[in-house]
Amino acid sequence: MSPVIRQFRDFFVSLKLTVVLLSFSIVLIFWATLAQVKLGIWGVQEKFFHAFFVLVKIPGIAIPLPVFPGGYSLGGLLLFNLIAAHAYRFRLEWQKAGIQLTHLGLILLLLGELLTSLLQVESNMRIEEGAKQHYSESYRSNELAILDTTSPDYNEVVTIPEAVLGDSGVIQHPKLPFQIRLRDYHPNAALQMRDQAPHTAPAPALGRVEGFASAGIGPRLVVIPQPITYRQDERNAPAANIEFVGTEGSLGTWLVSPLLEMPQKFEHQGRTWEIALRFKRYYHPFALTLLDFSHDKYPGTEIPKNFSSRIRLKTDDGRDDREVLIYMNNPLRYAGLTFYQASFEKGDRVSILQVVRNPGWVLPYVSCVLMGLGLLIQFGIHLTGFVRQRAQT
Amino acid sequence: MSPLLLTCAAVLTLLLVGGCRDREITAYRAPKDPAAIAPVPAGTTNTGDLPPDHLPIGASAPTATGAGAMANTAVPTGSDHLTWTAPAHWTAKPVGAMRKGSYAVKGDGVEADLSITAFPGDTGGLLANLNRWRGQISLPPLAENQLDAHREHLDLGSLHVDIVGFAGTTNGAPTRILGAIVPLGGETWFFKLMGPATLVAQEKPVFLEFLRTVRPR
Repeated sequence: MSPVIRQFRDFFVSLKLTVVLLSFSIVLIFWATLAQVKLGIWGVQEKFFHAFFVLVKIPGIAIPLPVFPGGYSLGGLLLFNLIAAHAYRFRLEWQKAGIQLTHLGLILLLLGELLTSLLQVESNMRIEEGAKQHYSESYRSNELAILDTTSPDYNEVVTIPEAVLGDSGVIQHPKLPFQIRLRDYHPNAALQMRDQAPHTAPAPALGRVEGFASAGIGPRLVVIPQPITYRQDERNAPAANIEFVGTEGSLGTWLVSPLLEMPQKFEHQGRTWEIALRFKRYYHPFALTLLDFSHDKYPGTEIPKNFSSRIRLKTDDGRDDREVLIYMNNPLRYAGLTFYQASFEKGDRVSILQVVRNPGWVLPYVSCVLMGLGLLIQFGIHLTGFVRQRAQT
Repeated sequence: MSPLLLTCAAVLTLLLVGGCRDREITAYRAPKDPAAIAPVPAGTTNTGDLPPDHLPIGASAPTATGAGAMANTAVPTGSDHLTWTAPAHWTAKPVGAMRKGSYAVKGDGVEADLSITAFPGDTGGLLANLNRWRGQISLPPLAENQLDAHREHLDLGSLHVDIVGFAGTTNGAPTRILGAIVPLGGETWFFKLMGPATLVAQEKPVFLEFLRTVRPR
């Protein structure tokens, strides 16, 4: 083995690296806890934990600089360190079974967190009593949806994630008979009627104006860019100006924002189109109908005792058609999704279910069992050894 | 391939899959939405000349997607750096997302509206904003050199306030605007009393007294 490779090996299997990484993790968690006051839980997760480096803006320098390893770096290195140390020092001995099981549990826990952070999708489904719902919506992600609503039975939908809207490029999709030009984009913006807003540039004359809406409701509105919010109880409301260009030239530029709660319509080549910037939707191959929502209170008080939703679950292919009761701590698990009773609105007539897809949900349970078992075995071995020794003396 | 390399490859693939998921353009066929369920807006705001079936803009942002106790959307305007005490006879109205304060000022069977708003930056400058207000009561815009003749300056502790008063008409009815513009920490706050000319003129001393209660938080 060459000296360089040996140095690498010794570095990655060393316990010193573990201690340093754990110390860094403590600092990171402490720093992130303090930062949560300003950034909120989502912001902290993105900036400190779901990042390879913590980026900080330093006065006088335009771009943010990496100043500390982030969660992915520390977690990844810890995982690598743990696996490398085990691969290097592994001996198949009964005496070490406890330690090995405990560490296997730890590896699974780290992998589980990685899987969750990368693959977990959380959304919510809002259903009014008697209504049928096919989709759930993201809490924070948005998408530009372009719908061909010509058919009376269904919509043909093309969705563009918000992350793409900031690119200011041109999108040509095979399902769309026009090009989409992304004119401008604000990650968070308020809208106000132009005649009631503080002074801004005057309304553009009708016709296409670069970057300004010329069709739909856009020309009558002013976009007031706002700082991005990370607060847990707030959402960013992005705004974008989107131009459609057909074979015969521009069809117009539309202002889109989730604050415009109704889609804007236009006709092109004999088909009816709708455009909306909305919370990202996840369609499911089944529908839930809210039969009844109950909000029980303790008698004579306003203190809630129980929330429950009686749901009819029906798959599109008709294979499943049954009633389900969802209440606190009794979620519905179906098709890889978990539906929790989360909230309600509108005088107890609307139920809000939290919908979670987490392919790695079982890993933390398995890892806890492994770690518990490992510790039990390890202490058991020590205990029996100790008892035996005592009996001999 | 060693187990170590396999693990690294798996972790990298996961990271790539996770990273690319957010940028994928998708196309699918979806069932039609049921008739929209309109959430009740949190406060009254500017409906302006929106189509009759459109929900108010600038009201509480979309609650349609799971509001309740979970994730109410609020679009931040300015911060909440100022406090004030309104006179007893002003009736507080619900504030929408755009207003920091909203009051109905009543007298002689008529009503004026007092709005308090805050926006980041200087929102186009003092002159532009005064001309916007003048436009609302059918007055011609002022030129830069006429600005000083139309404003009074008031220093309230650390706050520097520009006060203006304009008399014009809306739809032929005599209307007055009394306004105060307060720059504060990178934001601009607007206090605006607008309504029937006689009522607003009558309320002017109260409005000025009210401004003296405005304090940084």
